[in-house]
Amino acid sequence: MPGPRLPTLAWRNIWRNRRRTLITLVGIAFGTLLAVLSTGIGDSSYAEMIDYAARLGGGHVVVQHADYQKLPALNKTVAASEDLLQRVAAHPDVRAVVPRIRGGAMLATSSNNVGSGFIGIDPALESNQTLGLLDALAEGEMFATADDEGIILGRALAENLDVGLGKKVVYTLTNKDGEIVSGLSRVSGILDTGAAEVDSGICLLPLRTLQQLLGYAPGEVTQIAVFLDNHRDATEIAHQIGADLQGQLGSVVTALPWDEAMPDLAGFVTMKVTGSLIMQLIITLLITAGIFNTLFVSVMERMRELGILAAIGFTSRQLFALVVWESLWIACCGIVAGVLLTAWPYYYLATTGFDTAAMTGTQAGTQVSGITMSQVLYVEIYPDHAAVIGVAIVLATLLAGIYPAYRAGRVSPVEAIRTV
Amino acid sequence: MSTSIAQGSAAVAKHDTSSESSTRNTIVKLTAVEKIYRQGKFEVPALRGFDLEVRRGEFMALTGPSGSGKTTALNIIGALDLPTRGTVEVDGRNLAAMSRSELSRLRRDKIGFVFQAYNLVPVLTAFENAEMVLRLQGVPPRDRAARVMQLLGDVGLKGMEHRRPAELSGGQQQRVAIARAIAPSPVVTLADEPTANLDSTTAELLLTLMEQLNREHGATFIFSTHDPRVMARARRVVHMVDGHIEDDIAKD
Repeated sequence: MPGPRLPTLAWRNIWRNRRRTLITLVGIAFGTLLAVLSTGIGDSSYAEMIDYAARLGGGHVVVQHADYQKLPALNKTVAASEDLLQRVAAHPDVRAVVPRIRGGAMLATSSNNVGSGFIGIDPALESNQTLGLLDALAEGEMFATADDEGIILGRALAENLDVGLGKKVVYTLTNKDGEIVSGLSRVSGILDTGAAEVDSGICLLPLRTLQQLLGYAPGEVTQIAVFLDNHRDATEIAHQIGADLQGQLGSVVTALPWDEAMPDLAGFVTMKVTGSLIMQLIITLLITAGIFNTLFVSVMERMRELGILAAIGFTSRQLFALVVWESLWIACCGIVAGVLLTAWPYYYLATTGFDTAAMTGTQAGTQVSGITMSQVLYVEIYPDHAAVIGVAIVLATLLAGIYPAYRAGRVSPVEAIRTV
Repeated sequence: MSTSIAQGSAAVAKHDTSSESSTRNTIVKLTAVEKIYRQGKFEVPALRGFDLEVRRGEFMALTGPSGSGKTTALNIIGALDLPTRGTVEVDGRNLAAMSRSELSRLRRDKIGFVFQAYNLVPVLTAFENAEMVLRLQGVPPRDRAARVMQLLGDVGLKGMEHRRPAELSGGQQQRVAIARAIAPSPVVTLADEPTANLDSTTAELLLTLMEQLNREHGATFIFSTHDPRVMARARRVVHMVDGHIEDDIAKD
């Protein structure tokens, strides 16, 4: 379609009132900075939280008995055969696969009885990439093998039981057949996560020792924890693994992504993300209002000129497009300004982070849903979230330009020439 | 005053539009045109029973006191405004039957405008202002450039193509406006008080320029003016009073 150089004309128009345009661009740039940093902090801290929870719980995807999630019990098991573990581990996005037994037990010593959760682990398969608690081993050592006779207690739990390293602890639980069984272990390690909920309510037991006590067949566990490179792939991969395993083992097995396996955490993250989205919506609205003001005033100031353009043959559509181009240029310049303004703070916060210890006055991490968060805040925005911010700014700018563009398109040449 | 100037000339005659050949050459025809503006509860008539025919190649002035309807008539001829009653034909097309976008195209292709306040786009150079309508028409760049450079040369702006309006004097800006108006070879160029903001010398120069364009290229000009210099050069002077034509004088 033949036409004037609308983009060129629009570009020159936005610089007619340089100060006004620059103020608008600064507004967009600061909005971008706020949106990117708040989203980046959220993305980074939720990822840390989810990863920590996965390493404390059942992984990013947990394979378990179909009824386990509704009512966890030690008789709801899956057979973690070598073949099955290999099948799951073969998935390209899977980082690690570890079988575990989780449940509750009564711990007793000569001086006290305390109820606690336990995780049965195979030390040969675990690392701090699959079990965050390994980093919290403050005293003693990890089990030598999966049929070790030790027990590792949280520090507060050990204090409640009044035991230290090498002391005996009797743990009592209900086996697969519903009978009460007991095992005797010596404390081989003390965990100190800094999270009171964890330190007072969790202990580690060797996997094969537990299997024997519970009457499990070799490889029989309550869950297979699957760790992924990216927790955001959990739903899709859980679906794929679930479909694959159900084809082999029937509907008795299910694969749940972390947000279904840990609904409390998922709810917390959703709530925070929603709050963040509302904040971003407010930022976007403020940006939109600023751009609208700039464009509207700019159009109203040029009504006579727009009327002249209409008089010499510009169509309504071309005048509309001219103002849309102006808003598009402002959006593009705003994004460039936003990137320039955001680059250094983002780089600094992504690499060095921001240590909140000085602000909180404590070295203990903040606990969220029983998860201890790092004191250092890092920023790492997901590329798609960054893209969404960019698109939102462009859309907000275009949206802000629609009414001024409409007014420009509807200009009556004779009115504009006569009255302005 | 304009009537007396026209009537004072030895070579004046009442304008006659009755012949068949003149009808074929008619490019603007207004019949029984009325234009009423509403101001609150009141109706203000600007044109009353206005009839006018303009033929190709005319160099015509619409004169009359302020409020006589000159600018309204010019706006209606230029398809910038529509009459309340009556018919307007430009280049054989009835404006009342045309859509908004068709009117835009008509203005673009058939009508040139020269305004009192020049009204150039301040962010475009003289060249870009002059070529704007040709761009709208989709004229190829090479043809466009040749046409605009020639016109800017004709109006005495050679070497000033890259200046923006702020870097040009009032007279130079009006020359660019004339170049912009006639660049697409419109059937008629409407000039609303084109000399009002210019000094005498510049006004004379511009009138000579437009007269030259009229004589050499057959460009049709209709001026709305109070300026005796324009009336003196016009070959037809239409004197308006209270929204109708009081006198229509053709000079040789």
